[in-house]
Amino acid sequence: MSLTTTYNEQELIAALKLRDNQAFSYLYDNYSGALYSIIKQIIQDTELANDVMQEVFINIWRKIESYDPSKGRLFTWMLNIARNASIDTVRSKGFQNSQKNQELPSNVDINVSGQVVIPDTDHIGLRKTLENLKDEHRILIELAYFKGYTHEEIAKIEGIPLGTVKTRIRNALLQLRQYLK
Amino acid sequence: MNVQEYISSGVIESYVLCLVSPEERAEFESMCNSFPEVRAARDAFELSLEKYALNNAVEPEANIKNEIFSRIKAEETSTQSTSYKKETTNGQTPVLQMGWLRYVAAASIVLLVASTALNYYFFSQYKEYSAKYDQLVQNQNQMASSNQVLQAKLQDYESALSMIKDPAMAVIKMPSVPSSPNPGSLTTVYWDTKSKDVYLLVNNLPQPATDKQYQLWALVDGKPIDAGVFDIKEGLSFVKMKNIPQAQAFAITLEKKGGSPSPNLQALYVLGKVS
Repeated sequence: MSLTTTYNEQELIAALKLRDNQAFSYLYDNYSGALYSIIKQIIQDTELANDVMQEVFINIWRKIESYDPSKGRLFTWMLNIARNASIDTVRSKGFQNSQKNQELPSNVDINVSGQVVIPDTDHIGLRKTLENLKDEHRILIELAYFKGYTHEEIAKIEGIPLGTVKTRIRNALLQLRQYLK
Repeated sequence: MNVQEYISSGVIESYVLCLVSPEERAEFESMCNSFPEVRAARDAFELSLEKYALNNAVEPEANIKNEIFSRIKAEETSTQSTSYKKETTNGQTPVLQMGWLRYVAAASIVLLVASTALNYYFFSQYKEYSAKYDQLVQNQNQMASSNQVLQAKLQDYESALSMIKDPAMAVIKMPSVPSSPNPGSLTTVYWDTKSKDVYLLVNNLPQPATDKQYQLWALVDGKPIDAGVFDIKEGLSFVKMKNIPQAQAFAITLEKKGGSPSPNLQALYVLGKVS
């Protein structure tokens, strides 16, 4: 890599808002792996994940003007773009067509071609930390964070009160935080 | 709940990972603005999340970057109003700090287009109003000239009316004679008994041939005296004839143009006796 420039976060944001290609190249080189990781945690299919990866960076490029640093770090903003794009893709590919998805055990998933697959136990990224959680916590993070269900939907799926969903998710996140080291 | 409890409630993690309701989001953002420690705790979690994600990165396939950059390039050139070429060497993207210049260029083109459009608009407005103005001037001239015509007519009528109203004016009706070439002909002589001036009003006489003219005669003691020739005109018009000191009757014959010394009685049209 022949990069001659490094940026701090403020400089990077300023350069990106000026549509500086070098800055965008720097952004890609530094963050593509982290963002691809979250995409792959939601989408198993590599080809589909690659497509989403392209969309995510195109969207970052298009929407950089609307990024507001007072609401959070640049990476957080990009992470949410990547997560939302991945969940939208999974949902639009017909994953939500049937309710059976919700009745599956938490460690079983359906891939793009509709086959039921047992995901790698040696998982990547945030998902890896889920292993440290109790089942009742893990499944809620799985549904809320990786599948994008609202708290209300989860309360219905799991048959537990809305307040309990919220409390368990917050407790689960506080525990997960301990493993982000 | 105090601020410390709020910080450790899990709301920070929920907010950062987008697992909050819109109300919780708004509340959290206002808490961040009000309490620097909430904001600091948020920053800390974001930073640990970022570090973790960077440490657990999964490298995407190498060709993805090129595809993204060629799409961005295509998007840029399709949205740019002025095109400038960028050289790309071995995947390294050149520095191009001219982003703002594009907006200036785009803005000036927008301004140029807007100004051209305005110029065209104002010019066509000008042409339209100029044509309207010419039309108005023309109308005004027409009205002025028709007003002049009306004024002249009105003067004629006014003088005719004052003549008719004059108590000293003798009115002699001259109906068709039985042998008249045009039965139903009628003329009237207004004879000022003071000045002896004679005015003729043609009520009904046919238009003569171009080489002929009507001639008025005053009959004095049985002899015809020339009182002048006249033409038939449109409208109510009195023709001033020769001054006739005395007469017993008036008659009109059709004569050769310019009149005759004595009347052609074959062409006697009308006759009126002075009462």
